[in-house]
Amino acid sequence: MTGGPTTKPSAALGFLTVLEDDELGIFGGYLLVNSTGRPLEFHCTAPVKPNRAQEILYGPTLRPYLYGEQIGATLLEQTKQPPPLVLTDSTPALAVRAHVQTPVALIALGDSPGTALRIADGNDASLVDGDGTDPARVGPYSVVVHNAHASDLSAVEELIGGSCAIDLLEPFERIRAAICEAQRIGGSAPRGALRIA
Amino acid sequence: MRGPSVTSWQAATSAQPIAPIEVEIVAAVAQTGWGMAVRRPPKVVVTSPDVVSPRPGTVSLPLAASKIPVTHFRFDVAGFAAPEVSDSLSATGPPTARSTKILSADGLSAAARKATRIRPPDDVVRLEDRLSYLLQPPLEELLASGHLSLACQPFGYQLEGIAFLFPRQHAVLADEMGLGKTMQAIVAMRLLFHQRQVRRALIVCPKPLVTNWQRELEMWAPEIPAVVIEGAQERRQWQWETQDTGVMIANYELVVRDRQEIAAVSRPFDLVILDESQRIKNRSSATNQAVRELPRRRSWALTGTPVENSADDLVGIFEFVSPGYLRTGMKPRRIGRAVSDYVLRRTKDKVLTELPPKLFRDAHIELTPDQRESYDLAEKEGVVRLENFGDRLAIQHVLELIVRLKQICNFDTVTRASAKLERLEADLEECAASGRKAIVFSQWVATLDELAQRLERFSPLMFHGRVSSRRREPTIAQFRGDPRHHVLLMSYGAGSVGLNLQFASYVFLFDRWWNPAVEDQAINRAHRIGSAGPVTVTRFVALQTIEERIDQILEEKRELFDLIFSGTRPSRDMHLSQQEIFGLFNLDLDAGGHTKAA
Repeated sequence: MTGGPTTKPSAALGFLTVLEDDELGIFGGYLLVNSTGRPLEFHCTAPVKPNRAQEILYGPTLRPYLYGEQIGATLLEQTKQPPPLVLTDSTPALAVRAHVQTPVALIALGDSPGTALRIADGNDASLVDGDGTDPARVGPYSVVVHNAHASDLSAVEELIGGSCAIDLLEPFERIRAAICEAQRIGGSAPRGALRIA
Repeated sequence: MRGPSVTSWQAATSAQPIAPIEVEIVAAVAQTGWGMAVRRPPKVVVTSPDVVSPRPGTVSLPLAASKIPVTHFRFDVAGFAAPEVSDSLSATGPPTARSTKILSADGLSAAARKATRIRPPDDVVRLEDRLSYLLQPPLEELLASGHLSLACQPFGYQLEGIAFLFPRQHAVLADEMGLGKTMQAIVAMRLLFHQRQVRRALIVCPKPLVTNWQRELEMWAPEIPAVVIEGAQERRQWQWETQDTGVMIANYELVVRDRQEIAAVSRPFDLVILDESQRIKNRSSATNQAVRELPRRRSWALTGTPVENSADDLVGIFEFVSPGYLRTGMKPRRIGRAVSDYVLRRTKDKVLTELPPKLFRDAHIELTPDQRESYDLAEKEGVVRLENFGDRLAIQHVLELIVRLKQICNFDTVTRASAKLERLEADLEECAASGRKAIVFSQWVATLDELAQRLERFSPLMFHGRVSSRRREPTIAQFRGDPRHHVLLMSYGAGSVGLNLQFASYVFLFDRWWNPAVEDQAINRAHRIGSAGPVTVTRFVALQTIEERIDQILEEKRELFDLIFSGTRPSRDMHLSQQEIFGLFNLDLDAGGHTKAA
């Protein structure tokens, strides 16, 4: 487990997402914004492509391994200002929580309290291989945290449970546009083959 | 084959002896050939492995990935702070709390849901710079923050316009009149002030619009001090030299007059905005040359009519925006491609679906008998005179005849009869009866004077070049607020730019301007944001006259505009050539440029 930064958390929020490109591989992006949504740091990875052996031997745990341990943990190690909370919109990326000390939450817009969390990739968050808690409603959002760190939910409620000035799903769009720009894939807009992981 | 016979015995009993019974059973024997196989011993193969063989080889699969390369970008946290202005210049206090942020029932900002992104222009090449734009929050969120709250919520297309201007060093905002170019430019400039990319900006506009810019700045950027460059030369020189923060507003004539003083300013302006930039379409004009000399880092041009006559108009504007980028003589389609990332052009039809409709009706007027007689005579004599000029005939001679004929189309030279006036009076009766207001445009003050006399019962007000600038605003206020005044008589020159007359429901073009873009500007004074209802535009055209022929030319000019800015129309001869003007009177140019009757 990587310890991650140990300096005092800043009044900022981290946003982690992963994109897949059919040809190039998997890209990770991490954006740190201040309380008004302005960017403080941005880190993105080079594309990662699992080999055939990994695909066979990791089986269903491949994505949590790649998104969480490989990409997520690598990105979160880079931040100069550790945030009190990292949000992700990628179901397998929640596995990063096992490798960092920062609370991590999977977030989506919730239709109503108690409904299942529909993530942007169409998966049901309750199917996070047993790693995720049941979806909880926090403000307008549905939130899932790692089973082994259920107390992360209190951090989520504290930070985004009240009035939040920014749309917490919007920064993921910025990350995707920036990854596309940085990797020169399809200009600044995500191209069709690129999908949310 | 007969089978073997079988003999059976029955057990003996004490009663009587049993006699043997002969039973005949038939049995068949098959040959299987197994006899030899059964007798043959099995073959046993024995393998003796070498129990001391070397250890088997292994294959190691690279399951643990190597360290993933990560690219890092860090940003200035101080961005979008309050702008730096000197206390002495600060004309207004801090912005009032007029936040436009609206929280919806589910707790999410409504502004945040709609995301207008700031995208880097094509000419920004450094990845860090491009990402710094892409990673900014949507404009809605930036503007909803405390320092940048706006007087009212902009339309979506206006936010797009702001997002277009903000990252650009070179830009032309060419929205159709009435879409709010001024507001978009001010808010984009304000963002730059707050990001400290701009500390000192200059706005150059036509003189009648200076007060309009002051008013708009106060509304959309109240915390940024604005000063008008005016007064005697010594005062102006002092202003040019000492104003080192905030916004300066100057009219075109002053910029031409103060060329030397401006050139002597030690530090370039961070931003220069040219309003109504069609003023500099002529590259050889003194105005064009003066604004090109303005020391500056960013150059923005605002115009509703980037092309009035030919594609070279845009070349003139680009000599300020991005000198040398366009050349005269470039094909319109090529210009269209070249400027696509620099020019933003929207029309009301495309972006303001909620704007009331603009209804056009062409009033084709038969001249009165008096007018017809005068007109025919004037044209006949005029053409003869033109022909008599022979080689000395100049375009000016033709234009003089056109003016004379158009004036007859308005009023007969002798009897002052006017078929247009008769029609106008009928329309105005209806307009006044319904309590609505109308604007009547003409290119001649004399025509407006005569209309004022003949339309006295409608209490017309006058707004033209001879009305002093001091009287103009009160005239507009009177027209707006006094229900007795139903008609405003305006000249194209005075009423075509920068005025908001959206309370008028009717626009009459008593005579036609040469340029459809100028006509459009005039019409859009009434048809703009805030219009309470549909605007009806009546264009008078006297049948079988020079007006009808000019109307055809105007239509062709409209097509030229569409060719450059939409690229959808087929190519046409875009230049209003001397030949075409001569053609209005069936005059022709021979190969040597001499005229002859066609």
